[in-house]
Amino acid sequence: MIGAIATQQVLALRRQRIFLAALGLFMAMTAIAGVLGWSSHNTIVRVYDEAVKLLAADGRPAPPNPFLLKPTLSLVSNMVVYIPFLGALLAVVLGHLSLADDEADGLGRLIFSRKVTRREYILGKLAAAAGVLAVIMLAAFVVSAVSLVIVNQAIPSLGDLVRLGGFFTISWVYLLAFSLIGMVAVLATNRRSMALLSAMGAWLVVTFAVPQFTSGLRPTSSLNPIIDPVSTSQGFFKITSLAEPFSVAEQYKLASGSILATGPVETGLQTIGRIAPTVALVAVLMAIAFALVQRHDFSRSSNGA
Amino acid sequence: MDGPAIELRGLGHRYNGDPVLRDLDLTIEHGEIFGFLGHNGAGKTTTVNILTTLIEPTSGRAAVNGHDVVAERSLVTADIGYLPSEVRMYPHMTGAENLTFFAELSGVSNPKRAAAETLEYLGCADLADRRLGTFSTGMRQRIGIAQAIVHRPDVLFLDEPTAGLDPVGIRQLRETIIRLNRDLGMTVFMNTHQLSEVAKVCTTIGVLSRGELIYKDSMEETTRRFPNETSLEDIYVRMEGVPT
Repeated sequence: MIGAIATQQVLALRRQRIFLAALGLFMAMTAIAGVLGWSSHNTIVRVYDEAVKLLAADGRPAPPNPFLLKPTLSLVSNMVVYIPFLGALLAVVLGHLSLADDEADGLGRLIFSRKVTRREYILGKLAAAAGVLAVIMLAAFVVSAVSLVIVNQAIPSLGDLVRLGGFFTISWVYLLAFSLIGMVAVLATNRRSMALLSAMGAWLVVTFAVPQFTSGLRPTSSLNPIIDPVSTSQGFFKITSLAEPFSVAEQYKLASGSILATGPVETGLQTIGRIAPTVALVAVLMAIAFALVQRHDFSRSSNGA
Repeated sequence: MDGPAIELRGLGHRYNGDPVLRDLDLTIEHGEIFGFLGHNGAGKTTTVNILTTLIEPTSGRAAVNGHDVVAERSLVTADIGYLPSEVRMYPHMTGAENLTFFAELSGVSNPKRAAAETLEYLGCADLADRRLGTFSTGMRQRIGIAQAIVHRPDVLFLDEPTAGLDPVGIRQLRETIIRLNRDLGMTVFMNTHQLSEVAKVCTTIGVLSRGELIYKDSMEETTRRFPNETSLEDIYVRMEGVPT
C-alpha cells in the first residue's frame, strides 16, 4: 500500500506544472552557482595574470595566486544560500502538493474507503517526498560535480566528492523538514490557500526571522569576519545566543560551511551537533503529521480555495 | 457473507455536538438496490460516510456483510465500493492509471488487468489512455463507477450519482446500476434526489428526515400503500409532510 501511494504521488508530481516550475528554477540556480563560481574564478585569475605582468615589468616578484588559497569547493558555496531559499520553497511546494490535491478534490474519501490505513497513507506520501528530494539532491550533486570539473579542469578528489555528498545529504534532511511543514499545514488547516500561506509563513520564520533574532540583530553581525560579538554580555543578546543552536537555518549554513571546508574549521562532533536540531525538527514534524492524519476528517473535501 | 448486506442498529452521529443521525435502525438484504431519500442535511451522506468507514458513529452500530465498520474496518473496505457525489480523481493521470491505483489500494492481485477489464465491462475502454483533466462530467462519472467496482465489491455505495449528468448520462448510469446488480449480484445503496430514477431502479426505498428513518419498504409495496399518488415525488412529499 505504501509503495502504491508513493508511486502514484511521484507520477502525479511529474505532471504537476507548479512543481516542475519550482524544480526547474532550483536546478537552473544550481547550474548558475557553477557558472558564478567559474566567472569568479576567471575574474580572479585574469586580474592576477595582469598584476603579475605589471609587477614583472617593474622587476618586482609576483605574490602567489590567491585563487590557489581558496578552498576547492568554494565554487559551490552559493548552494548553501540557494538551498535554504529556493530549495526549501521547492520542498514546501512538494509537501503541499502531496496532500493538497487529495484534500481539495475529496480524494481522501475514495482512498480511505479502501483497505489503506492512515498510517500507510502518510508513510507513502513521506516516502514519495523523501524519494523525490533525494533524486533532486542527486541531480544537484551531479551538476555541482560537473561544474567543478569544468572550472578546475580536473576531476575532483575523492575527499571533495565525499564532502560534496555530505553537503547534499544534510541538505536532503533540511529540505525534508520543509516538505513536512507543507504536509502538516495541509492537515492542520481547512483551506488549500491557507495551508500554502501557513507553510510559506513557517518558511519565512525559519529562514529569515529566527536567524535575524539569533544573530542578525547583533551590532557586529554585518562585520566580517567577527564571529563572537562583544555585545553578548548584554541580557538580550544572552537570550539570542542561547537560541542560536535551535536556529536550523543558521546551523544548516554553518554545518554546510564546515562540510564544504568553506567556513570555520570545526570538529566532526561539532558539525553533527549543528545538524541535530534539523533532525529533531524532522522527527517532531513527522510525529505531528502522524497525529494529524489520524484525526483528520477525510469525509469532507475542501473547496480548493 | 454473514448477515444482511447492511445493518444499522441505533446508529447516531453528531457534528460539533449537533445530532445528525438519531437512533437509526435499517436492514438491507443482499441483492437489493436501495434508494435512500431525504432533503439536504437529512443525514444521508453521513450515513454513507459511516458505512464506508470514513467517519465513526458516535453511538450505535453499523455493519456491512456482518462486519462492524469500526472494529472490522479492513474486512468492510474489502467488501465495499464507493462513488462520492463529486467524482474528482487524479486529473494528471489517465483513466487506466487512476483505476490501477485504486485497484492496488484495494489489494487486487493484478491491478492493471482489473482496471482494463473494468473499463471493458463498462464499455469505456476508450477512456483508458486519456488524462482525467480532459474528461466531461459524464466521462468522469463512468470512470468513477469503474473505480468503485474495480475490485468487484459486494456492496456499492453511490452518493447522488446523477448530480451534474445530462439525460443520456442519467440513463447510462441507470442501466449500469441495474447491470451491476443483475450480473455481478452487487447490493446497491444509493443516496439521491432523483425520485424518477429511484422509481425506475430501486427495489427498496428508505426516507430519512432530520436524521431519523421515517419510512422503509419495497418499491412495490410503496406504490401499493399510496395508490392515490401519481409519482414517487408525491409519495415523498407526503411522507416528509406527515412523519410516521
